[in-house]
Amino acid sequence: MNTLVNLEQVQKRFALPGGHQYHALDPIDLKIGTGEFVALIGHSGCGKSTLLNLVAGLLLPTEGIVLVDGDRVSTPGPERMVVFQHYSLLPWLTARQNIALAVNAVLTGLGREEREATVEEYIRLVGLQHAADKRPAEISGGMKQRVAIARALALHPKLLLLDEPFGALDALTRGNLQEQLMRICQEHRVTTLMVTHDVDEAVLLADRVVMLTNGPRSRIGSVLEIAIPRPRRRMEVINHPSYYSYRSEIIYFLSQQKRIKELRARSRAAVGRHGLEKVNLEIGFVPLTACAPLAVAKERGFFARHGLEEVNLVRETSWRGVRDGIAGGWLDAAQMPAGMPLWMSLGGGDAEPTPVVSALTLTRNGNAVTLHQRFLDAGVHNLRDLRGWITENSDHPPVFGVVHPSSMHNLLLRYWLAAGGIDPDRDVRLQTIPPAQLVANLRSGTIDGFCVGEPWNLRAAMEGAGYIVATDRDIWMGHPGKVLGVREPWSRNYPNTHVALVKALLDACRWCEDADNHEALRELLSRREYLSMDPSYIDLGGEGAVADVATGTTQKPRLDPVDAARYQCAHHRFFLAAGNRPSRTEHLWLMTQLARWGDVPFPRNWVEVLERMCRVDVFSTAARELGLDISYQRGAIDLFDGVSFQWDDPVGYLNGLAIKHDVYMAEVSLTRRDQAGPGVERAWSDVAAAA
Amino acid sequence: MKALYDGVTERQDGSRRETYLEIAGLGKHYDTPNGPYPVLKDVDLEVAAGEFICVVGHSGCGKTTLLNMVSGFATPSEGTVRLKGRPVAGPVPDRMVVFQGYALLPWLTVFDNVYLAVNAVNPEFSRGRKAQIVDEHLALVGLEDAARHYPAQLSGGMKQRVAIARALAIRPEVLILDEPFGALDAITKEDLQEQLLTIWNEYRCTVLMITHDIDEALFLADRLVLMTNGPAATIGEIIEVPFPRPRNRERILEDPSYYQLRNDVLEYLYERYAHDETA
Repeated sequence: MNTLVNLEQVQKRFALPGGHQYHALDPIDLKIGTGEFVALIGHSGCGKSTLLNLVAGLLLPTEGIVLVDGDRVSTPGPERMVVFQHYSLLPWLTARQNIALAVNAVLTGLGREEREATVEEYIRLVGLQHAADKRPAEISGGMKQRVAIARALALHPKLLLLDEPFGALDALTRGNLQEQLMRICQEHRVTTLMVTHDVDEAVLLADRVVMLTNGPRSRIGSVLEIAIPRPRRRMEVINHPSYYSYRSEIIYFLSQQKRIKELRARSRAAVGRHGLEKVNLEIGFVPLTACAPLAVAKERGFFARHGLEEVNLVRETSWRGVRDGIAGGWLDAAQMPAGMPLWMSLGGGDAEPTPVVSALTLTRNGNAVTLHQRFLDAGVHNLRDLRGWITENSDHPPVFGVVHPSSMHNLLLRYWLAAGGIDPDRDVRLQTIPPAQLVANLRSGTIDGFCVGEPWNLRAAMEGAGYIVATDRDIWMGHPGKVLGVREPWSRNYPNTHVALVKALLDACRWCEDADNHEALRELLSRREYLSMDPSYIDLGGEGAVADVATGTTQKPRLDPVDAARYQCAHHRFFLAAGNRPSRTEHLWLMTQLARWGDVPFPRNWVEVLERMCRVDVFSTAARELGLDISYQRGAIDLFDGVSFQWDDPVGYLNGLAIKHDVYMAEVSLTRRDQAGPGVERAWSDVAAAA
Repeated sequence: MKALYDGVTERQDGSRRETYLEIAGLGKHYDTPNGPYPVLKDVDLEVAAGEFICVVGHSGCGKTTLLNMVSGFATPSEGTVRLKGRPVAGPVPDRMVVFQGYALLPWLTVFDNVYLAVNAVNPEFSRGRKAQIVDEHLALVGLEDAARHYPAQLSGGMKQRVAIARALAIRPEVLILDEPFGALDAITKEDLQEQLLTIWNEYRCTVLMITHDIDEALFLADRLVLMTNGPAATIGEIIEVPFPRPRNRERILEDPSYYQLRNDVLEYLYERYAHDETA
């Protein structure tokens, strides 16, 4: 795609009375391709209109350069037409005359008849034939905006700039105009930059959504590609499997911007007491059954017992929120998917590497793979059946929801599929969706299955939306689920607090494991501040659960889906002999899997990374002080496909895997950002070559 | 809310529930040279005390006409509107309306705009008591510091808060809101929605609100009343909104039924009752 608009290092400052300056935009770099539709979204005052006006030439940048089609923008011009929220029509002219005024002024190379024909063409384009001779005061807001759009397009601009064009219209008129605009842009290949604060509008119309942070010093906080095919129709877009994940991505960004002050205020100065460096902690969690140890440590007083007297649990809806909280420093610690400490440390998701350490495994098991009910009707009972179904329906690759790239759900699902000869990047589509939205997506049929932790598998079965096709027993019995994660510098600054935190959570884990407490635990988890759902959805095993079935079974009797969810699942384990100790072998396996699917490079210095990241020392101190047995045995990990994972040769293991992404190796520097240059020197190469 | 559930229980017991606001067989037509033009027809709705109802529909579906007949600004051509069993005849302060355009008097300060209403409804109160009522209600919407300002000095969101304070200051039993947040930006809108819920929670007045915004309706209402298209528009569907109160926007986004409800309403508006202005 050719670049039509190019903003390089654009800054804008406005002079204020008294010699002060308002710094509206920090350096902005943005390229827009020919024919592309880009939406700019952000809160009021984030500088999105300023940015649009810079491209229009209505404002000039204080620093940097704006190029349109290679030419520097210094004045407004008809090749860049702007449509404002308030129409700007001349009230004494009819709709036709308003359009003709612009056409006659700009298209001077055309003869009179051609100009008149152009005016009529664009009146027809926006469907205003019946109102062409009316004045603005005689037509509705939606019609006025159609006149303004026709006037802009009639000049054949290279670029259409829309500044909240539908903001003053009611939602339903807006909907009709959006569809019309989409059709026109599609047919005429118009390059468009649109300012909006309507999330649905941005997802419906745009190829890319550019999100601006709050001012002053606004910058591009995030860019989202909307990969929904065109031509688009509203209801098809809403039913697209990605629609609600795009929407929640943008809503997440906007609400994060809104909360940012409040979030920053959370990282309060450390309050030290009883020999602990910090007793006031903000700890993040996502409402899942696996958050039990945190909820229990708080509600049953384990935090307080270990001197952590001011713990505040921060509920996040997505793992993204946990990641941002740890990276941004407003969370002290968090419950994390097992792969997240490594994923963050190695710079997953193209983010700046943030060294995160783990000293405690909080839960094991509790995951399952759920499929939509129709697969049961099609006779899919196991991995082999699923592969058969995919081969027969290769034009309809199933879509699976996972909750985060670094989560065990994603990695186990990928492993399971790949072991069955299904390439998770080619034969199926994986989609990141926050846990709470999975069941709704499954029921509406926008996804075909998911892999997630409880309570969502049981809930899908109870609501008749799906059934469990594989559990932990079928993939890796006893795998780590959630771990405790803190930033490495945090651990260095608050070593005694770190130990106290691990002790409190170990006590809580032990409490959660005790079946006598399960009734109380289910009640606690069902509360509004935690899972906020009926306790019947929360199952912790205990009586009635199948005790121990041999691992590796993929054939299972046809049970009622709810019974299957209740009794065949490997329920969460919170406290096991050596089960809470952070295991280097397990984290190494996670590292191979993250590298296998291209999320992060495989570090050449993997031994160093594991030593730094797995804080066995903190765990051992805590466990010893609680009088727990800390003996353990390092062993291989045996997965369901009979492949055993050894600690000593991860690169050989990676090479032996048939289905994988291009794996690359790199030396990963874990030095803190402020002390080091580039965090990761990435060397793209084949593992074989590197090994 | 509570009243609604109590009402339902009572009905299941077989005993009679006293409907608070009852709209029965309601219709409205305007006379034109070509004969009567029907705007609304056969509208039936029962509202319990303290309930929050959002009316959603396309432009021209007669939503405002419907609410005008409840407020008493318009007279029905057929059928009746009864409040606590008594037919509604003409506007009275027990049913207060807040408009999208704020309807504040520009030459009066914020304080005086609200005072004017309090004074009109409670002329017998002492000046001090009336002033106290005004202050309390300005505080309720967080505008105590803006009392001496004139409307032109306020933002749209602040003006709408003044209008809400004015409506509430005369203690209406029914609050009628005609797209009150339609002209506001998203953030201000969300803040005011939250404030409105807090106030409604304390007051427990019955609310009828017109909105075009589906997320707003799902966040605020106990029930959504979806209108068919005009002419002769009527109630097409009524949707119960199941989210527990007090409501929290993020929690609603976590609820699987939110996505289902939202898609149902969108489908209703854009597929079943699609509406094109050009037609």
